[in-house]
Amino acid sequence: MKTPVSVLRLPRGPDPNSRGFDPNSPRFIALCPTTVSTSSSGSVDEEEQRLRSELRERFLRTLLLMTDKQVQFDMFEKVRVRARFGASDIDVLNFQVSDLETPLGVQKEALLRCHDVISCSFEP
Amino acid sequence: MTLTNPLVAQHCSWECSSELHNPPRYVIWPQSTGVCRCFAVFARSPVSMAMRQTPLTCSGHTRPVVDLAFSGITPYGYFLISACKDGKPMLRQGDTGDWIGTFLGHKGAVWGATLNKEATKAATAAADFTAKVWDAVTGDEVLTLAHKHIVKSVNFTQDSNYLLTGGNDKVLRIYDLGKPEAEPLEIAGHTSAIKKALWCNNDQQILSAADDKTIRLWDKNTKEAVKTLSFDASVSSMEYIPDGEILVITFGRTIAFYKAHSLDLIKTVDAPASIHSASLHPEKDFFVAGGDDFKLYKYDYTTKEEMESYKGHFGPIHCVRFSPDGELYASGSEDGTLRLWQTAVGKTYGLWKCVLPEELSSENSEALYCPPAEIKA
Repeated sequence: MKTPVSVLRLPRGPDPNSRGFDPNSPRFIALCPTTVSTSSSGSVDEEEQRLRSELRERFLRTLLLMTDKQVQFDMFEKVRVRARFGASDIDVLNFQVSDLETPLGVQKEALLRCHDVISCSFEP
Repeated sequence: MTLTNPLVAQHCSWECSSELHNPPRYVIWPQSTGVCRCFAVFARSPVSMAMRQTPLTCSGHTRPVVDLAFSGITPYGYFLISACKDGKPMLRQGDTGDWIGTFLGHKGAVWGATLNKEATKAATAAADFTAKVWDAVTGDEVLTLAHKHIVKSVNFTQDSNYLLTGGNDKVLRIYDLGKPEAEPLEIAGHTSAIKKALWCNNDQQILSAADDKTIRLWDKNTKEAVKTLSFDASVSSMEYIPDGEILVITFGRTIAFYKAHSLDLIKTVDAPASIHSASLHPEKDFFVAGGDDFKLYKYDYTTKEEMESYKGHFGPIHCVRFSPDGELYASGSEDGTLRLWQTAVGKTYGLWKCVLPEELSSENSEALYCPPAEIKA
C-alpha cells in the first residue's frame, strides 16, 4: 500500500478582500518603487506625488460624503440608475448600494461594478 | 550502516519500485536528527518505500485555467502566473503555490500569461482585444496594448525590453516596451488565428503556432518565415527550451520534440489520450503531458517509456510546465484549479515533507498534514 506524501499545509488561497501584492513583503520593500523604470527626476516626482495624494484624498472624502445620499450612476450602455450609496470596497471595485432603481423594479440591496460606472452625481 | 551527513540529510535520494531487486537496491533515508539510515530494498520490504504523489491544489480561479508560466529563479524564489477565463490572472509563489496577488483590469477571458525572468514584469493576453503589461511586484497595470482581435499569446525577450504578441488577427506584433507609444513591428503570414508565439534562438527568431496547422520560424529582422512545419492536426501547445534549443510541440495524441534552430524532428511519443500540453524537464531526463483524460503522464525522455500517470484533476488539462529548478511541475485545468506535482515523489521540497512512516505517529505529526490514504479522483 503506497503511503501518500505528507504536506506541511495547503497552498494559501486568495484574500477575498484585496488584490494582494503585500506591500510589507520583503520583495516589495526591496524592489519598489523602481520595479518599472520612470524617467522623471526627484523633485518632479515629489510634486507629482503630492498632487496624487491630494487627489486621492479628495476622492476618498467624496466617497465618504456620498454615504447614505441618493446618487445617480451613469454607466456603460446608456444605463442611468439612482440608488442610495452605502460603501465602496477597498480597491474601489464594487459599490454597495440600497434601493437601486432599475427598469425591472427597485432592488433593495445591490453591488455595482465600478468598472462599469462612468460617473456618479449627487447633491451633498 | 549509519551515515552522519548533515548535507545529505536535506535530501531524500531514493527510488521507489515494487520489483524484486537482486542484488538489493540501497536507499539513503534522512532523519530529522541529521543522520541518514541506509535501507536495503527487496520486494515488499516491511517499511513501505513506495510513496504516492500528493498534488497541491491551488484554488482561487472560478473558470478554466488555460495558460501558466514560471519566471526564472530570483533572489526571492521563483513565481508562477496563471491565465484564466475568469479574466483575473494570478501570481503565485512558485514552490508553494501560495497566492501573492491578482492582476485586475482585463474585461474578458485571459488566454495567455507570462512573466519576465526576474519576475518583475508580467504580461497577459485577453479576449478584450488587449495585451497588458503589469508590474509583478505591485500588481499595477503598466501598459495596455490595443489589438484588433482576441490576443492569445504574450512573450518577453530575455532582457524584458520587447513583448511579442499573437492572436486571432493572425499577425505577430513586437512592442518596444521602452517606446510604448510607437507602432509595433508587424509580421504577417499565418492564415489562421495564432495560438502561441515565442522568442527563440537568443531572441533573434520567433516561433509561432497557429490554427492553420503550421508552426513557422521567423527572423525578427527580415520578418520573413525561415522555415515552416505543417501538421495534420492543429498544434495544441508549444514550449521552447533555450538550454539545448529544443522545441516541445503537442498535437492530437502526440508529443513531438524538434531542434529549435533547424526545426528538425528529434523524436515523437504517443500518449493514450489527446494531449493539450507538455513540458520537458530542464535536465531533459523526463517530460510530462496532460490532456483530455484529466490525467498527467510522466515519460522518460530517453527511452520514451511512460513512467507514471497521475489522476487528480476534474477536467481536461490545458497547460503543464516544469518549474525552473525542475523540482515540480504545475498543471492548469478546465476544473479551474492549478495543481503542483513533485518530480521526485516523497522528497522534502516546498510544502512537501519527507517523513518515515514511524514519524507519522510521533509528536511531530501535528505539524504535518497527511492526506487520507484513499484519495478517489
